[in-house]
Amino acid sequence: MRREVIYILIVAAITVPLFLPLGLKQRITPEVEKFYQTVEELPAGSSVIVSFDFEASTVAETKPIAYAVLRQLFSKNVSVISLSMLAEGTGLGYDFLTKITQEYNKKYGEDYVFLGFRPQYQATILGLGEDFSRVFPRDYLGNGLSSLQLTQKVKNYADVAMIISIADGDLPQYWVDYAQTRYQKKVLAAVTAVMATTYYPYLSSGQFSGLVGGLKGAAEYELLLGQPGLGSKGMEAQSLGHILIILLIIVGNLTLLAKRNK
Amino acid sequence: MPLRLPLLVVSISALFMLVQFFVKANFLDSAYQEVLDWVQIIYLFTLWVGALNLIKLHAKKTQDKRQAFYSLVTLAGILLMLIFGLSGGKATGSAFNWVFENVQVPLQATMFSLLAFFVASAAYRGFRARSGEAFILLAVASLVMLGRVPIGNLISERIPDLANWILNFPSMAARRGILIGIGLGTVATALRIILGIERTYLGK
Amino acid sequence: MELGTLTAAILTLFIFSFLYRDNPFYKFAEHLLVGVSVGYFLVISIDNVLLPKITEPLFQQKDWSVLLPLLAGALILTRLIPAWSRWSQISLALVIGVGAGVAIPATLQAQILIQMKATMFSIIPPEGSSALLYIFERVVILVGLTSVLAYFFFSKEHKGALGSYAKIGTYFLMIFFGATFGYTVMSRLSLLIGRVQFLLGDWLKFLN
Repeated sequence: MRREVIYILIVAAITVPLFLPLGLKQRITPEVEKFYQTVEELPAGSSVIVSFDFEASTVAETKPIAYAVLRQLFSKNVSVISLSMLAEGTGLGYDFLTKITQEYNKKYGEDYVFLGFRPQYQATILGLGEDFSRVFPRDYLGNGLSSLQLTQKVKNYADVAMIISIADGDLPQYWVDYAQTRYQKKVLAAVTAVMATTYYPYLSSGQFSGLVGGLKGAAEYELLLGQPGLGSKGMEAQSLGHILIILLIIVGNLTLLAKRNK
Repeated sequence: MPLRLPLLVVSISALFMLVQFFVKANFLDSAYQEVLDWVQIIYLFTLWVGALNLIKLHAKKTQDKRQAFYSLVTLAGILLMLIFGLSGGKATGSAFNWVFENVQVPLQATMFSLLAFFVASAAYRGFRARSGEAFILLAVASLVMLGRVPIGNLISERIPDLANWILNFPSMAARRGILIGIGLGTVATALRIILGIERTYLGK
Repeated sequence: MELGTLTAAILTLFIFSFLYRDNPFYKFAEHLLVGVSVGYFLVISIDNVLLPKITEPLFQQKDWSVLLPLLAGALILTRLIPAWSRWSQISLALVIGVGAGVAIPATLQAQILIQMKATMFSIIPPEGSSALLYIFERVVILVGLTSVLAYFFFSKEHKGALGSYAKIGTYFLMIFFGATFGYTVMSRLSLLIGRVQFLLGDWLKFLN
């Protein structure tokens, strides 16, 4: 089979369900349920750190996840202090925050603060445990942290309930290694599918209090929230895409067998 | 500069961070925070070395007729972002943010989406079960792929259950073994660095 | 149609043209991405890191102590000049040393001790669970973990009992790689779905 035919097939498999939805039902996995419940148990008025630890290359997965997480947090009147340890995650995280906070009429400086970008994850994660304003003298918009209502009362890890890392790489692991080991903070991870299998040991040991993986995880989360969004829209296209890949593997192997028998 | 000086700096700074983890004292805490500040600033400069090297490389390439145009595009992109960002700010609605949202993000996202095509092509041409181990790999991959989408549940409820079980037990166990192995390697390498046995980070 | 959406769509199609073959449109888009990404990083690092951490403390608060990390950072830049690059070793040594120092207790605790603890289990199953399944699952984890560690133990040749046990580890590794591969395919397809949704929905408005 020529590669152009394969390319056309994959585009067709993904595009057709976008126009003809099959209405397939989602199942919620225990790890996403655990993530949702952990956030759901937060009392109103508590604060969390949300770290946008991803690049623009994975925005198709991280955007639905980030939207769902932020919607749950703001619907529960939980304050969000966010940052990014990757340059592109900074701009994207700020954009996502701006969009979702508008839906809930949240005020910058009171309900949420975006600290901005810091490189070198070890120094950042450890430094935040002592004093946010030492690591970030100013936030992303140039405000001194002492001038913002939220960061006047939330100064370090002792004042936050948990840390949520939305990531496409190793950073959730480092939040556990440094923030949890030294400061015993609860960590939740919402990651791209490619990283999800890497983190099951952390989920099993209780080091992660929940794990959302990929677009599928985002779709399940949206179902739990009762707000279907980008995640849910992509799942049927995902279904047909997977079927096609499996068929290609089977056909490829049968072709090999047939050649061998000749 | 004698070789001993960097090795001494490595050992002292590493031992300080180790001691500080276990010993609580005000003077240690403030020195600790100071060191973390230093590390962030120095690390930023290491990232800049990469960026400046790239600028240097493309500036050199502008001398070559065949590559000049594309290198000029790269340099123009850098200059444009610097001008927009440092003069017009980063807020939503700024020129800097516009270029980020409508040029950088779509380009980056599309570049990686090409992988879907290559994965599909490789599925047909390359994913061959030539051995028992390869068969297990492909069988588990197919089961997980089916189990993680709604269609798997439609075929049989056992498929997502089995996929879940595989992820939470045998796959997790193997990953835990890899994790512990990596952890032991990390600690061993860190000790080698502290003792001055490992010197590759110093370069030539 | 918004100019931004149109620009994004055109650049998306430039990248997709690579599927046919390498061409000037793709090369243009690729080089533009590199330039804009580097420029973006430089702006964010200057505006969000350099100014508040160095420039303001130095020039507005007259905090001269920032001169020392600034000097250490400047030493790193000597890597760009081969004749002076040895001076960068001191600053690099500080970063590496600090990294090694903090990594030891963190890794020992998070990646080794807690993971080992999580593998230990009571043979008395919790109430309400099937005893057989509970024990079986925990034994699977124990065998999987120890056989994979045996596989990665290279100080002894994989022969006899060790060899057989390491072989079991191979099968567990294949299960892990298979699961990871399945998720990787899922991830890659999701990225393509995102772009298709953008082109058909945001750009051409064919989708709701």
